[in-house]
Amino acid sequence: MTRTGIKRETDLQLISDWIEPGNRVLDIGCGRGILLEHLHQTKATYGIGVDTDLSKIQSCIKRGVNAYQGEAESLLAQFPDRFFDWVVLSRTAQELGNPVEVITEALRVGKHLAIGFANYGYWKNRAALLKTGNVSTSNVFPDSWKSGTPYHPISVNSFEAFCQKAGFTIERAIYLGGDWKSPCQTFPNLRAGYALYALAQ
Amino acid sequence: MELEPRTFEDVPGEVGLVEWKDFVSHKPLRFESGEQLPGFTLRYETYGKLNADKSNAILICHALSGDHHAAGVHRLRDRKTGWWNNIIGPGKPIDTTRFFVICSNCIGGCQGSSGPSSINPETGNPYNLDFPIVTIADMVNAQHRLMTDGFGIERLFAVIGGSMGGMQALQWAISYPDALDRLLPLATTARQGAQTIAFNAVGRVSIIQDPDWNDGNYDHDHGPDVGLSVARMMAHITYLSDKGMDEKFGRERVHSTDARGRFGAEFQVESYLRYQGQSFINRFDANTYLYLTKALDQFDLYGSSGKLEDALAVVKARTLVIGFTSDWLFPPEQNRAIVHALLRCGKQASYAELDMSLGHDSFLVHTPELYELVHRFLN
Repeated sequence: MTRTGIKRETDLQLISDWIEPGNRVLDIGCGRGILLEHLHQTKATYGIGVDTDLSKIQSCIKRGVNAYQGEAESLLAQFPDRFFDWVVLSRTAQELGNPVEVITEALRVGKHLAIGFANYGYWKNRAALLKTGNVSTSNVFPDSWKSGTPYHPISVNSFEAFCQKAGFTIERAIYLGGDWKSPCQTFPNLRAGYALYALAQ
Repeated sequence: MELEPRTFEDVPGEVGLVEWKDFVSHKPLRFESGEQLPGFTLRYETYGKLNADKSNAILICHALSGDHHAAGVHRLRDRKTGWWNNIIGPGKPIDTTRFFVICSNCIGGCQGSSGPSSINPETGNPYNLDFPIVTIADMVNAQHRLMTDGFGIERLFAVIGGSMGGMQALQWAISYPDALDRLLPLATTARQGAQTIAFNAVGRVSIIQDPDWNDGNYDHDHGPDVGLSVARMMAHITYLSDKGMDEKFGRERVHSTDARGRFGAEFQVESYLRYQGQSFINRFDANTYLYLTKALDQFDLYGSSGKLEDALAVVKARTLVIGFTSDWLFPPEQNRAIVHALLRCGKQASYAELDMSLGHDSFLVHTPELYELVHRFLN
C-alpha cells in the first residue's frame, strides 16, 4: 500500500470504529465514497455523501453510495436537527469556504461530528515553512496555491480553542504521528501529523 | 478497486431500423378526473431483447413534444433518428445488448396513442375536448397497463425520463413503488413554479385565440396552425438558454425572402424559431398541446400538505436525479428539492448536476458526462 493509502486507511478505520451499526451518516467531502461504502458493507449504515466534484459523484454512483453534488451548506440546511447520528468531515474542513458555518450546522443535524485534519502545527510543517517560506504540500494535499483550491491551515491548538469558545464538547481526540498511523498523545500540537475528533454540541 | 472510467466519445453502435407498434387495451381506463375510456391505444417502440425472467426492461418516458420514437430510424433514408438515439443503442449508456428498452407514447398524445384527436366510438367523430382531462398519473397508469398486460413485466429495471418524462418517472415510483428498481428523472420538477405555468398559459392562449381552433372542434387538416406554431416558438425559447442561443445563433443574419420585407426573418434565431413552429404543426395536434401542458401545470407532488415527503415516502427505487445548471425552465433547485425530500425520507437517492450551456434541452444532447452518469447508475 502506498503511503497515501495507509494515511487514508487509518483515518477511515478510526472513524468506522466510532460509528454504530445502522447509524445515519453524512460524509461531507465524501470523495469517491470509500468510507460510506465501507460503513454500509460492515455496519449497514444509511449514508449520504456530499461533494462538489462531478467525477467524485460519478464514482459514488458506481459504488451504489448515495451522493449529492453541491455545497455542504445548502444540503445541511435541508435536514432537521439531529437527523444524523454522525456527520463526517475527514480532511475536508481545511478546504471549506466557511468552515465554522459547516461545523456549526453539522452539529445541529448530527448528534456527533467526526472531524479530522492534518495538523499544521506539526513540527515538520513548521520547519518546512521556516526553510522554504511555503505551505508544505504532500501526497495527500498535493495542491500548491497555484491550483486555486482554498486551504486553511488548522492546528490542534487553534481548533481546540475554537471548540471551547464555541461550546462544542470534544468527546474524543485521537492524535497520530507524522505517519498518520501511530498514536501520539503527548504535545500533539507539535508532534501530531493528524488529529481526529468526535465532537458534540 | 477503481476501474478505468469508460468514455462514450465514440458511438459504439446503432439500433438501426425500428418499427412502432400499437398496444390496444380493451379494458376501461379510469382517469383521475373520474372520467373513463372504454379502452385505449398506446403507441410504443422497443429496442433490445426482453430476457427470459423479464428483468431487464427499461421504460423511457418522453417529454411534452417527444414521442415513442426514441432511437433508430424508421426508414434507412431517414435523416433524423429517434430523439434519444445518442444514449440508447448497443454499447451506449442505455445499452440495448443488455436492456430491453421500451419507449411509450403517452395517453392524450397525438402520435398514434389515444388522445383528443382519436375517434370517439360513441360519436364516430374525434373526441376533441370531450377527451378526459389527462394527468401525469393517468399517463403512468396507461403505461403500467402496457407493461403488465402488454409485456407481462411486473418489475422494470429502471424508469428514465427528462422534463415531462421525469414527472412520469417520479409518478411511476409513487403509483407503483414495487414495479421499478431504479428511477432516473432528469431536468424535471415535483411541481412547476409560476413562471413555467405562465409560459404554458401563453402557449394555450395562443392556440385558443386562434379563430381556427373553433373551441377545439377544428378540422384536423386545418387546425389553429398560427396559434400552435407561436406556442411552439415561445416554448422552444424556454428549452434553451441565453448563452446557448448566443453560441448557436449570435446575431447571425439570414437573407430574408419574406414578402413582408423588413419584418420577415432577419436574424438566424428568428428563422430557426419559425422553422420550429412550422415543422411542429405538421406533427403535433393543438388539442394535445392544450391537454399535455395542462397535465404539466397540474402536476404537484407537494400536494395539499405542501410536503414533498408525503408523496415520496412510498418510493422504493434507487434514485438518481440529474439537473442542469443552465436549465431555467425546470431549474436545478427544483431537481435538488426532489433529492432533499427523498433523503429526508431515508431513501437511496443521489443528485448530480451538469454544467452545460444549452438550458432545459441539455439532457437531449451529446454529453459524455451524462452518458457516464447514466452508464454507472444502470450498471
